[in-house]
Amino acid sequence: MNRSLLILLGALALGAALFGGAYAMSRRVCERCMASSVSDLDWLQKEFHLNAGEMARIQKLHEGYLPKCAEMCAKIAAKKTEVEAAMAGATNASPAARQKLAELAALRAQCQAQMLQHFTEVSQTMPPEEGRRYLAEMQRLTLGQHEQTESSMSDSMGHEHHQP
Amino acid sequence: MNRKNPNPDPDDARLGALLRAARVAPALPPRFQEGVWRRIEDAQAPVKSVGGIAWLDALAALVLRPRFALATAVVLMVAGALLGVREGSQIVKQDAQARYLATVAPHSLR
Repeated sequence: MNRSLLILLGALALGAALFGGAYAMSRRVCERCMASSVSDLDWLQKEFHLNAGEMARIQKLHEGYLPKCAEMCAKIAAKKTEVEAAMAGATNASPAARQKLAELAALRAQCQAQMLQHFTEVSQTMPPEEGRRYLAEMQRLTLGQHEQTESSMSDSMGHEHHQP
Repeated sequence: MNRKNPNPDPDDARLGALLRAARVAPALPPRFQEGVWRRIEDAQAPVKSVGGIAWLDALAALVLRPRFALATAVVLMVAGALLGVREGSQIVKQDAQARYLATVAPHSLR
């Protein structure tokens, strides 16, 4: 094999190793340093540039919201168990199972409304521009997923209808 | 030291003359002189590398220069480190966002 080619291949391998090593090491160090001090609300403070006063108000709202959220989650979990029990062994949806599904949906809707109310309250403690951005981001992250699923499903249904 | 014989043998002289007369001087091939000059010119010309090997050799020579090698190594390490920091901070940010979302919006609602 040509000597020059060997030298170049060796240099290339060494360069790749140096780049990859520096990348992996700095990434790991960065993750460790930054993740060590992260609390649940740190992301809010950094992402929406909040000062200590705003953070204190949000912390209070957050702590007030968490028990309500946990309570709703427990109710939803219990209702899910009831739905599963009502549907167990059934070959079609019985009126009782339908009733349970409707109750589960109502609970979810209630929980979502409560969550959106919390997002709105949090957004109002922020500077107006950041508050708008926060609310839009939260709606995208929480409700947007449903919209994507529904949109993809309606698209696929549309395609099915167009099939000969 | 070799010393010439001042009185050469007349028989030897005659033998020498006979040998010289008997030596066959073959005719030179056509364009012999031109061929000789061409060979001389080719021998004196610098050696040229074939095709793409030239740039490969030049690149290898460049890579082996200590200053170039050091500078390249530093640039690669700095670039790798910067990219790593950028990726790392992005991952930490995403984790923090996911942690916040997990507290305020349980998965069953998303």
